[in-house]
Amino acid sequence: MNILIGTVLIGAGAIWLWLQLPNEEWRRASYRASLDTFLFTAPRVIVALLGAGFFAELLPEEQVRQLLGTEAGITGILLAIALGPLTPGGAFVSFAIGAAALKAGASPVAAIVYVTSWSLFSTTKIFAYELSFMGRQATLTRILVSLPVPFVIAAVVSVLM
Amino acid sequence: MPSLKNIAADPPPETKSRKVFDGSFLVLLALTLAGGVAVGIVSGWGRVGDILLETFGFLAVLAPKIGAGIFIAATLPILLPRDRVGRLIGRESGVRGLVVATACGAAIPGGPMMTFPLAAGLGVAGADLGAVIAFISGWSLLGLNRTLIWEFSFLPTDLVWIRYLLSLPMPVLLGMAARSLMQRRAA
Repeated sequence: MNILIGTVLIGAGAIWLWLQLPNEEWRRASYRASLDTFLFTAPRVIVALLGAGFFAELLPEEQVRQLLGTEAGITGILLAIALGPLTPGGAFVSFAIGAAALKAGASPVAAIVYVTSWSLFSTTKIFAYELSFMGRQATLTRILVSLPVPFVIAAVVSVLM
Repeated sequence: MPSLKNIAADPPPETKSRKVFDGSFLVLLALTLAGGVAVGIVSGWGRVGDILLETFGFLAVLAPKIGAGIFIAATLPILLPRDRVGRLIGRESGVRGLVVATACGAAIPGGPMMTFPLAAGLGVAGADLGAVIAFISGWSLLGLNRTLIWEFSFLPTDLVWIRYLLSLPMPVLLGMAARSLMQRRAA
């Protein structure tokens, strides 16, 4: 059911965007870019989803549940926040790990804060790009003001769920 | 936001093709193959077949969503050229500037090698650190490309919605926090 709602919403967004394309030339450019994105994305999605399935099978469920499950409470949430920045690589790596951990028994809160913490504090992004392009002061200011975000989200989600 | 409609007279911008099989894909492929072999040894090859079937079944269900997500991710940047985004954020100030910066960060796809040079360019175009941080956070937390294609494929839809909705106000708040921090430093 959830997948259906998401598909309808995203489909409606796609149709609205298609209607914004003014003429045939723009539509062709959009199809070309879409095909290009598809060729880039499809092999990655397939391989990463398979990888997530395999790793979920291999993860020791008991330990995952103990460390990151609902019973782990605040310790589990802190561990999930700490694991975020340590995840190497791009978005598909962190989402695949989050999905595998969920399947193996991690709590939804842990998965949400792990993704949030990775988004904001991925050391790959910070050391490889942000420091060199933005400089030390801007990077440190951003990290400093962003520090509370995973904790705030963890608190709100814990109350909600 | 720049008008999306007043473009009929201009030709669409050129887009560059990306290499499909780069280093990061090969690493991912190697890890997945190693995972498959490990599952075969630990749980038997029948289990590998089950996981393959499950995954492809799941992909078939996801396919329409991924397809629409790919169309949005590919088309939005054509309609929102990068140079116009830079000028727009540089010009706007106040909370409105932070909202515009957040929306542009969320709309612009691409990895860190595209986003951080652009963010540095915003400063040159006249944006303050608050707007730059709102832009980076909008991209990090709310990037449409990442959420539509990747996050919705891997994580349960309700979790994605909860994370996204809770993160929605964050970039503007972080921009405001950065501004007050800079003011205190200057004082």
